[in-house]
Amino acid sequence: MEPIVVAKNLTKSYTKGLRALDDVSLTVNQGKVLVVMGPSGSGKSTLIRTFNGIETFDKGELNILGIKVDSTHDERKIRKIRKRVGMVFQQFNLFPHLSILENVTLAPIHVQKRRQIEAEEYGMYLLSQMGIDSHAKKYPSQLSGGEQQRVAIARALALKPELLLFDEPTSALDPERINEVLDAMRRLAEQGMTMVVVTHEIGFAKDVSDQVLFMDSGKVIETSPPNIFFSNARHERSRKFLNQLEKN
Amino acid sequence: MFKINISSTIVLFKYLRKSLFLNLFNTIISLLMIVLLSAAFFYTFEWLIFKANWKVVISNLPLYAFGSFPPNEQWRPATWIISLLSLSILTLYGPEWKWLRKNLLIVWIGTIPLGLYLLYGGLGLSPIMSRHWGGLTLTILLTVCSSLLSLPFGIVLALCRQSSLPLIQKLTSIYIDVMRAIPLIAVLFFGQLLIPLFLPVEIEIDRVWRAIFAFTLFVSAYIAEDIRGGLQSIPKTQIEAANSLGLNQYQIIQFILIPQALRIALPALTNQSIGLFQNTSLMAILGLVELLGIGRSILANPEFIGQYIEVYVWLACVYWMVCTIIAVLARHLEQRMTINQANF
Repeated sequence: MEPIVVAKNLTKSYTKGLRALDDVSLTVNQGKVLVVMGPSGSGKSTLIRTFNGIETFDKGELNILGIKVDSTHDERKIRKIRKRVGMVFQQFNLFPHLSILENVTLAPIHVQKRRQIEAEEYGMYLLSQMGIDSHAKKYPSQLSGGEQQRVAIARALALKPELLLFDEPTSALDPERINEVLDAMRRLAEQGMTMVVVTHEIGFAKDVSDQVLFMDSGKVIETSPPNIFFSNARHERSRKFLNQLEKN
Repeated sequence: MFKINISSTIVLFKYLRKSLFLNLFNTIISLLMIVLLSAAFFYTFEWLIFKANWKVVISNLPLYAFGSFPPNEQWRPATWIISLLSLSILTLYGPEWKWLRKNLLIVWIGTIPLGLYLLYGGLGLSPIMSRHWGGLTLTILLTVCSSLLSLPFGIVLALCRQSSLPLIQKLTSIYIDVMRAIPLIAVLFFGQLLIPLFLPVEIEIDRVWRAIFAFTLFVSAYIAEDIRGGLQSIPKTQIEAANSLGLNQYQIIQFILIPQALRIALPALTNQSIGLFQNTSLMAILGLVELLGIGRSILANPEFIGQYIEVYVWLACVYWMVCTIIAVLARHLEQRMTINQANF
């Protein structure tokens, strides 16, 4: 089994000695789903964003799809990584001035230099996979949150990525819209996509993930398979967090 | 029918009474205003219709429109102005055909080479020197060429001002601040008098183009600030999303930042182009016979001496009409751009 993400001793500190990442190490193998959980401010978003170079780090080493990155943040290597890694954000971050289909085809046409017709065909295929092909001509503001997030997933898939990163993909959605996005993610996992997902959705983590990584104040507290993490977490801190989460 | 009229008249009277004649003080103020307004209307119309001598306008219409363009070639600027007008009408009230709407922008940009060709001549048309250009034609030419040149220049300045290279950033800041601190008339003087001194003798730029360059230098500094405002209001997350798709810096500028910044800055840019249109009248002082300049030279004619009120009222009307057309076109563009894309 080929490791897709290998992080070694990642550390990132802010100016006041505050540590966003504190000696984080992890491995994600091909076809596996890693769910990252933790209270807000624990550094889970920062961690996932280092994987495609949106966030820098001060110490440690990262190996994404065999491309090694260190704290020097080599722009060329990071561009190489970004072409092979898709990302979905909490606030969707669709381009409001482009139509749904243009949002999806922008990167294939201009980054991969594919022909427009070809990119549009594949874009329509992805949109129909997400069940939103009927909205292809519309603009992001005309869609509901759940639909926008599915467009964002299709956009991330358009470059045929080997790794998908999800940064709290359902946190900005209405409760009744969450499932349509989670279902889409489930299908991707079933198709064997390697994914790293920052989420608070316990149900999704239980069903889909292979490993759950729990973080607090920049440190990895524990990494366990979901059946152990949710029934019998090893650490006091994890159990406290899960209790809190279930109360809400 | 009759009944409705009566009842609506009663409603009107009731409304007037309530709003204008509620108490003694209100009544006095209202009566005073009515007397003043009617007097103003009366004298204005009396002057407009009976006292003013519009011969100074009517007999000189070709001069106002084309300046001293040779009379038997005046169909050329006329064609240009009419094509601009009909294109405006087509844009505003034309049918909603897709292919038409798609290509309108290209047609609009195409009017500039068309205008320059018609004015300059050559290629089958007899060449006309730029010193014969004048009137409304020249005013529109100055406005259109200057705004078309200052838009890209302004965009580049705005981007440089946000650059991460300190030298470029400082230099553009200085340029923009200096341009905004100098009065336009000084920049225009610079363009007319100093540019020829700096250039070698063989290279001669004619006065119209020197004016256009001076306007471009000035206006682009303001446009740069408008666009910078647009750039700053785009959320950082847009750049993150574009980065995560592997787009490079230039692609992000071209496909993500500029289109959104232009849309946000559009109302401010409309202001700039209307201001530019009116500011072209400053060239009258510097010897170009554009719309205001031609008015002044008509007034210098002994036949029309002293009729300056008629001329300036007429010029004000022309400026007002063109500005209204620009404003309506800009509003149309704004609506079209926001129709499907209400803010995110």
